Amino acid sequence: MIIDINFIGLIIASIMASAVPLILASCGELITERSGVLNLGVEGMMIIGAISGFALMTVTGSLIIAVFGAMLAGVLISTIFAFLTQTLITNHVATGLALTIFGIGISAMIGKNFVGIPGKEFPVLFEGLKDTIPLLGPILFGHSIVFYFAFALPFITSYFLKKTKIGLIVRAVGDSPESASNQGINVKLVRYACILYGGAMSGLAGAYLSMIYTPQWIENMTGGRGWIALALVVFSTWNPIKILIGAMIFGGLTIIQFHMQAIGVRIPVQFLTALPYIVTIIVLVVISRDSRKIRLSTPSSLGKSFHKDN
Amino acid sequence: MNTNLKISNVTKIYPGCVANDNVSLEFNSGKIYALLGENGAGKSTLVKILSGVIIPDEGKIYLNENNLKLNSPLDAKKNDIGMVFQHFNLFETLSVFENLIIDSDEQRESLREKIDTIIKKYNFSIDLDIPVLNLSAGQKQKVEIIRCLIRSPKVLIMDEPTSVLTEQETSELFLSLKKFSEEGILIIYITHKLKEVMQLCDEVAVMRRGKLVSVSEIKNENIESLANKMVGQNLKTIKKKKAKTSSDQLIKITNLNFTSEDPFETNLMDINFSVNRGECLGIAGISGNGQSELFQVLSGEIISEKNSIEFNNNYIGDLSPQERREYLMAFSPEDRLEQAAIPQMKIFENVALNNFKSSNFFNNGLINENKIKEHSKKIISDFNVNTDNIELKSQFLSGGNLQKLIIGRELITSPDLLICFNPTWGLDVGAINYIHETLIKINEQNKSIILISTDTDELLKLSDKISVIHKGKLSTIMNAEEVTSEKLGILMGGAN
Repeated sequence: MIIDINFIGLIIASIMASAVPLILASCGELITERSGVLNLGVEGMMIIGAISGFALMTVTGSLIIAVFGAMLAGVLISTIFAFLTQTLITNHVATGLALTIFGIGISAMIGKNFVGIPGKEFPVLFEGLKDTIPLLGPILFGHSIVFYFAFALPFITSYFLKKTKIGLIVRAVGDSPESASNQGINVKLVRYACILYGGAMSGLAGAYLSMIYTPQWIENMTGGRGWIALALVVFSTWNPIKILIGAMIFGGLTIIQFHMQAIGVRIPVQFLTALPYIVTIIVLVVISRDSRKIRLSTPSSLGKSFHKDN
Repeated sequence: MNTNLKISNVTKIYPGCVANDNVSLEFNSGKIYALLGENGAGKSTLVKILSGVIIPDEGKIYLNENNLKLNSPLDAKKNDIGMVFQHFNLFETLSVFENLIIDSDEQRESLREKIDTIIKKYNFSIDLDIPVLNLSAGQKQKVEIIRCLIRSPKVLIMDEPTSVLTEQETSELFLSLKKFSEEGILIIYITHKLKEVMQLCDEVAVMRRGKLVSVSEIKNENIESLANKMVGQNLKTIKKKKAKTSSDQLIKITNLNFTSEDPFETNLMDINFSVNRGECLGIAGISGNGQSELFQVLSGEIISEKNSIEFNNNYIGDLSPQERREYLMAFSPEDRLEQAAIPQMKIFENVALNNFKSSNFFNNGLINENKIKEHSKKIISDFNVNTDNIELKSQFLSGGNLQKLIIGRELITSPDLLICFNPTWGLDVGAINYIHETLIKINEQNKSIILISTDTDELLKLSDKISVIHKGKLSTIMNAEEVTSEKLGILMGGAN
């Protein structure tokens, strides 16, 4: 059997495409968590982004409005979370869970009118270059702008955290909000900003699903990707580059197990479906074993409320 | 240029407590000022007001005749007031340099140069590129000091700076502070340690219960006069009577080892010692040399080999803390509010916590609240805990009262051996005195103590025998009369 080399390229490209929403949501959540806030509402923010993007696209007909609208929707719903956890000092975990339940519910309600409507075609870049290089052509070219942004994001995030002053302040707040406050840093402001940014990225991840990956609205279409994104952040030990690796492994195994099911490999379907989850976690645990590095990159104040007293 | 700092009629009231009651003080550069007082006297509140962390209800602060508005720590920094807090304000997982650059507006390169100059000038040895969590307490404090010096402050406030330092580090700190003072920085030194005031400072202000009691020059004072001003009554000095030499062995540790998987813990190597009845064994050392691991091994939080600990002719190395209590051991851990007591639980509930089996606190799995309360009241009155409300959550007790409660809880079952770890850490003179008296009393009743402490004076006062722990190894065990604090200092530094 001769396999077309471009076919392999296409498979790799589809793996990368399935990793995009995970990378976006994880990198957003990573910034939120690095500031010490644990937002378990990623799934909810993602699905809000998905329905907002799709609805705005259908109603306004503008893709740009739809994409930015989805991000704005993510920001708005995360503002609720930020207000509750930062201003009213509620528990991060409970609030995040509520946010997810809220998101799934409200998206289903709004989505009622959009079921069955076909999506629009999203423009892709460098379409013409696809056939110029074997194997690499389909991998590198012919994707949406969101796709390219997602693959740049882990590197941008890493640079932001390590090299910029604001990145340093985010890490400092996550390490010790008390010390940061005593140094004159406005902890609440930093945390608000990080939560809102995480919301925007989750919204974008959702929009990618409903507008680009499978251009249509299906109820509950995020299908647990928000939870995977959360797990990626933790198991990557808050390292954006490892998030990229984890998301690729997860996406890859998801795609491959589909193909294996299609070919009819004699392995129980349940096992194949579970495979991506298990392998991703094992790989990330193995590559992140250095306990010293874990200690250094774990935000010490993660999930703890900070209240400034006078 | 001379710096003049004036605090004028400052008042800060908290619900149920006047932290600062109309305090007025004046400081001039060129001198080192001590602000002396017991815990809760209001000195920390006062310096927090000076550093912008707390906003006073009334009163004004003047720096060189300018009325300062200190609404945030940033305002204090902008007005050239530097502050080194008792609990460091450092980011443990960031590198030293990142810690220093975070609140500076300067460029990386120029800041680095500036820091290098400071480090050279004052002979600090600190690697700028390692994470802060790898530094010793003394080094962390230097990072804090550098952070202040970068801004060339007019005023430098040090809040209880020596509570975490070794003697060596303390004398280094004093040298630096004297140098800063000569260079024209006004230094305010907050402490409750009288010896340090006498050693370092030129003038001393004493606070008690939120009020300023006296301001005087050091040359007119001595340790006793200051202690009396601080406590407000004449303190009796306590001395331990020489112990009767008993040869009745109570606990024996043989070839005890502990290897930790956590890289931030210390391994214990080949620990051997024994304690006789009525004896107090002191274990000295710089904190972080294995004391906390040793305490955990002795208390049963870490299980070791059965035969490594022999207590009252039983091998108990593999027993849990609860089982060890059954054999009449008692424990007072270092961290009162996290390890010894549960902060959110009421006093009487905390009292019930270590008496599961031996008491009649529980009937068929139900709590016998009356019994526990009765018992708690007895502890409170027997051990001089300054509250009559046993429903109070233990987090609201002062350190001294909580320590008395814990020691009381441990002792009321009359154990044969009490193991305590830094029992007077952070307490004021009155409470320290009381705890010391209690410990001496235990020995007089022919019961034994293992006292793990970083306070050399305390060890010399209470111990019959002393050993030093360094990097998880114990030195030979010495008779307390033959030991001086200098000798301990040398052993604590790791020399033989």
